[in-house]
Amino acid sequence: MGASSTYDRARSQIVEKPMTAVLGIIAVLLVFDLVRQLATGNLTIARMMSLVLDGVLRGLVIGLAGIGLSMTYSILNFANFAHGDYITAGAFSGWATTYVIAGGFGSAANIGSLALVGSGGSVFGGALGINAVQTPLAVLAGLVVSGVFTVALALAIDKFIYKPIRGSGGIPLLITSVGVAFALRYVIQFVFDSGTRGVTNTGSLPGIRPNVIDGTVAVTAHDVLLILVAGGLMLGVHILLQRTKLGKAMRAMSDDEALARITGIATERVIRSTWIIGGGLTGVSGFMFVLWKGTISWNDGWLLLLLIFAAVILGGIGSVYGAIAGGLVIGLTASTAVIWIPSGFARAAAFGVMILVLVVRPQGIFAGRSTA
Amino acid sequence: MSPDDVATDGGAATSAAQDVTLYEDSLLSVRNLDAGYGDLQILTDVDLDVTEQEYVTIVGPNGAGKSTVMKSVFGLTSHMGGTVTFGGGDITAERPEDIIHLGLGYVPQNDNVFSSLSVRENLEMGAYILDEVPQDALNEVFDRFPILEERQTQKAGTLSGGQQQMLAMGRALMLDPDLLLLDEPSAGLAPDLVADMFDRIDAINDAGTAILMVEQNAKEALRRCDRGYVLVDGKNRYEDEGTTLLNDPQVRQDFLGG
Repeated sequence: MGASSTYDRARSQIVEKPMTAVLGIIAVLLVFDLVRQLATGNLTIARMMSLVLDGVLRGLVIGLAGIGLSMTYSILNFANFAHGDYITAGAFSGWATTYVIAGGFGSAANIGSLALVGSGGSVFGGALGINAVQTPLAVLAGLVVSGVFTVALALAIDKFIYKPIRGSGGIPLLITSVGVAFALRYVIQFVFDSGTRGVTNTGSLPGIRPNVIDGTVAVTAHDVLLILVAGGLMLGVHILLQRTKLGKAMRAMSDDEALARITGIATERVIRSTWIIGGGLTGVSGFMFVLWKGTISWNDGWLLLLLIFAAVILGGIGSVYGAIAGGLVIGLTASTAVIWIPSGFARAAAFGVMILVLVVRPQGIFAGRSTA
Repeated sequence: MSPDDVATDGGAATSAAQDVTLYEDSLLSVRNLDAGYGDLQILTDVDLDVTEQEYVTIVGPNGAGKSTVMKSVFGLTSHMGGTVTFGGGDITAERPEDIIHLGLGYVPQNDNVFSSLSVRENLEMGAYILDEVPQDALNEVFDRFPILEERQTQKAGTLSGGQQQMLAMGRALMLDPDLLLLDEPSAGLAPDLVADMFDRIDAINDAGTAILMVEQNAKEALRRCDRGYVLVDGKNRYEDEGTTLLNDPQVRQDFLGG
């Protein structure tokens, strides 16, 4: 009796939710293959842990950048496609500052080359010895400037471009933001050129390589810094949303804007605060992303934006906690997918996971439209 | 304006349209108001008064523009003509976030709580315009609605309809308004809770807050209030004491189902 009812339930599950069943089977197959690879020595446990760490770090960058996107979505009701280029703008503003300070304000290299982050191969970050340990002040200053600059940029774009058309709905705003994205990206390319260049001196970057069962897992100082900065900022956002009047007003406004206005909440001020917080986090995420991966390019943010959208949609668009959770899922998928498939398909795997999760839970991990 | 502008004794205003008494020293006064949504005009030449501590209801058939009167007072519609004054100051077409500072609270119909915020956070938002959450007002709301204190950490979206209505009223009471606008407070409540809701509104009024209420439950509303307005097709039809309207054969036949 018990067995047959279990069987019936399983069968009705498969009939009612075939995709969920298929997903379950795929997951089981992947776990089997993982065990096989570990058993045959194709994959070491240390290598797997390195991939997981890489995924978590990538996920933190995506999540941090995703908070800003999700916040502006939930409070302003539009998906800001220029968000990726805010990341790039933040990164370049921060790294220009870091270069100028690390280059001794022109004593180590031409100050113009420094301010343009070594445009055209004129100066290299490695030669300047830039990393968080050798040039901590330059890195810290860059981190702060990336946040401040992106706040100013986000406020300026909102004031002159988005605010005048805010009343006309989400679609005109979205299309406008695509235009803003292109404009920003090509201005950045024009000013800083299209070359991808290394910005850090990784050779002398301290780190630890603890032994793990069958190998070592490398953890650099930049990995640690990324965890501290991203984790700290996420905790800060959590406290802001749950404990402060501004945060509560932001959540109230994302719940119901008309009711927020009736209640006397100063909606324009909340919108401005949203851009300030979202912009700051976005700029810092751009700076940290570049510090962590060691290279900078004019389309870094744009390429990251697709993963950020995947993360934010996966987490439940509009939810800050969803952006963090979604970022971790997407980052882990993109990094660990190489266990099973060629690395060229890693991004495709991330989107595949997004689609599959949405099939099972269409509203996202955290049911959307709420900052909480 | 018309000679009616002078206060009369609040006497026999019954059958003819537009035949309403105008009060001179009222807390809220609406004069010749034309309003609607976008280009669509809903209200035509509406007059309405609420005096200090008075309890006034607006009744009328569906689509008569009852809620539109409330929304227009609170600056949520397109203003097309006429004036709204509150406490002696002109608030015509002012923005809601400015009006709330003047001692006017508004509880909209349905979906009137922030569902993902906790009960307590909803009440705190009611006092958003103050620098600090007024502890005495909060305690008063909790005394008035003990269930809200019990559930203060619960998300407002998980409350029952009646509790959400209490929370919405509580939020508006956080600023201790002189006039509270209530849009269909009994809408969606189980029948056994309707009387309780009206008792609570009576208590708020007894404590000195004037009430302007729109109600579908017209008989009960007229029985409870001081004065009532019957609105038809966006125009004034009748205005009188609640019980007088309730016993008026014409009103009974046309609007109260006999």
